[in-house]
Amino acid sequence: MSTVLRPSVDDLRLIGFYLGKVLGGLGLVMLVPVPVAIALQEWNAAAALTLGAAVSLGIGWLSDAHLETRRTLSWAHGMVIVALAWIVGSAFAAIPMHVTGRFTTALGAYFEAVSALTTTGMSVIHDLDHLETSMGLYRHLLQLAGGLGIIIVILALFSAGGSRVGALYVSEARDERILPNVLRTSRFIARVTLAFAAASLLTLTPALVHAGFAPLRALEHAIALFASSFATGGFSLMQASVAYYHSAPVELIVMLIMFAGMLSFALHHALWSGDVREFLAHLETRTLAVTGTALLVLLSLGLTQGTYGEVAALVRKGLFTLLSAVSSTGHQVNIGEIYLTDWGVLAPAAIVGAMAIGGMASSTAGGIKALRVGIAFKGVVHDIRRFLLPESAVVVTSYHVGRRRILRPETTRAATTVLLLFVLSFLLGTMTALITEEVDLTEALFEGVSIGSNIGISIGVVGPAMSIPLQAVYVVQMILGRLEFVAVLVLLGYLFSFRRRRSPVKARR
Amino acid sequence: MSWDPQHDARRSSAAQRRRVRWPLLGVVALLALLLGLTSLLERGAPRLDASAPAITDLPSAVLDAPVRCMRSDDRIGVEELRGLLDPEGRITSGIVTACPRLLDGARVVYVGEVVGDVLRRDGGAWVQVNDDAYALELGPFGPHRERRGFNSGLSVWLPDGLHEQLGPPGRHGRRGDVISVTGVLLRTDPADGGGITVRADTLDVLAPSTTVDEPLDVMLVVAAAVATLSALAAFGWSRHRARLRAR
Repeated sequence: MSTVLRPSVDDLRLIGFYLGKVLGGLGLVMLVPVPVAIALQEWNAAAALTLGAAVSLGIGWLSDAHLETRRTLSWAHGMVIVALAWIVGSAFAAIPMHVTGRFTTALGAYFEAVSALTTTGMSVIHDLDHLETSMGLYRHLLQLAGGLGIIIVILALFSAGGSRVGALYVSEARDERILPNVLRTSRFIARVTLAFAAASLLTLTPALVHAGFAPLRALEHAIALFASSFATGGFSLMQASVAYYHSAPVELIVMLIMFAGMLSFALHHALWSGDVREFLAHLETRTLAVTGTALLVLLSLGLTQGTYGEVAALVRKGLFTLLSAVSSTGHQVNIGEIYLTDWGVLAPAAIVGAMAIGGMASSTAGGIKALRVGIAFKGVVHDIRRFLLPESAVVVTSYHVGRRRILRPETTRAATTVLLLFVLSFLLGTMTALITEEVDLTEALFEGVSIGSNIGISIGVVGPAMSIPLQAVYVVQMILGRLEFVAVLVLLGYLFSFRRRRSPVKARR
Repeated sequence: MSWDPQHDARRSSAAQRRRVRWPLLGVVALLALLLGLTSLLERGAPRLDASAPAITDLPSAVLDAPVRCMRSDDRIGVEELRGLLDPEGRITSGIVTACPRLLDGARVVYVGEVVGDVLRRDGGAWVQVNDDAYALELGPFGPHRERRGFNSGLSVWLPDGLHEQLGPPGRHGRRGDVISVTGVLLRTDPADGGGITVRADTLDVLAPSTTVDEPLDVMLVVAAAVATLSALAAFGWSRHRARLRAR
């Protein structure tokens, strides 16, 4: 039986060193809105952001000075650093939010930071509609950083070499390398993001001006809409979310950005290279096409039974919400309570299904992921075929992800294990809401799935008045969902190993 | 005295545990310190009296008891609820979202603060009108520190001739016009792609748009300055160590 050694001081040094880099990167994210705050004379917001940035950067520099090491990262280190980056990084990201006083408790500010960095997009902020412009920008930048992955954003830019960050990249639930090394992959992701940013701003800004915005205000909203849509985050500058714009062109552009955010970066690479066949043959494309069509039919059936009578409403309310759910963005074109009081039963069920599945692996989207759903489905078909064919027959099932691959039992097992863990997470959130709040099963389940899959569409359970135990459980769900369980479970194992009495000397015997 | 290798291994293990324990406790202590300091800053922020912006003499709500109409639940009859409505009352966003069919197509009175932007186009303007506590009781968060939850409101369409009366809408540092509109409530407005809207035909400004000054949080500014100086010192120290390592 193999033995897990208790982590040594050198392990902590290595973890602390990389965690310091992550905190330094978060500090830079906090610095970006400071000039905006100063220009708009939002002095308290400027002070809050500067405080958060200074604390994060200061600790980053201290760790740089004292913990510098040339040791190589192992997979376990990578997993622990990534889990801590989200858990501890969110605590530092919450500093500017907490001191502004817009959250009922410190846990509320932490919830908001976790929601931003995990690109969930649920919010517990008080009086969002009178929030400072700089703080609004900060919330959206956090989402973009979280969506693209704190680790790749920071380490790809500041690390000495790509090989050392490979373990971090994979730990961050991005197991598909698009280009031969992580650094080049990260730069490709940055290029794709910049291209979509440019395209989004060039289309959204005129669309918003056409909708009635003043040009500068249109630019502000365009930046926010791009950041939250491409990162599939779902925060908005106004409480009314995308419904605030009353504009079909804006909604259409946002839908396209959400769709782009939902695609895996590997498929972005295929499309950029002109390889449309790869896009069409990919297991995730096909899974999403099948599940999306089925859910759209279900949604349409539900919404045409007395909710909406016009095609325009079905598209602008129904299809938009479905895409928002499946892409895990969480933008809303309705007040959340409407799903309960005016959407009947079928339509919300379709939205819950879409939220559970989520987008593609190795994208900014959350949820179980189309890849796992596709593999689990193929695994079931494989088993059925095995039973139906003669015992001597060799059953081979294949799938296309980058190239044709043979479906192996361990692949199916890994996919179904994570799928099961997601279901357990949904149940945890649902049960806790049922126990701690005065909500019915539909509301508890809707919100539990939305949080657990990092979606952000709310039916109204999440809010500033939410109980502390439920907030804590939702925070755990968001982190587990973003890291797809493994990194957090490795961290727990690591923490458990501190308690081990077995010494390394004895363990080696 | 005989040499016991197992005893030495145990001592080495205990020493290693101690070496590992202190950094971990240090991290926990640092996080606790940050939580304590930021909580102190949050509680120490200056607060102003929030009673001035309250809008008084508002008509009462059309429905006293909050009722939620579930389409899947036939026990709550919309027709029965209509009989309980106060015809002189004003609607609230809470009542509309809790029971969207109740007032669909009815003439209504709605009161709230114009926030965000006035989106002028196509012979009128869309405005977001909030009727939450910040709109009608407290004014924007900042000058006061009363926390009363999310914003809530309805979309209102103001045709040309009405929206011209509006001042700058509510944002940070400004409370927008508090208006009373009369119009028709639509559960699925075709002009808004199926959204819930109030299509107004009359408008009264109950309280004009006004700036609200947020007091400077001196403690926060001092804390930010101290943290910045400390961070710069850490940066200098980090560069110094890097130079030493390079030698």
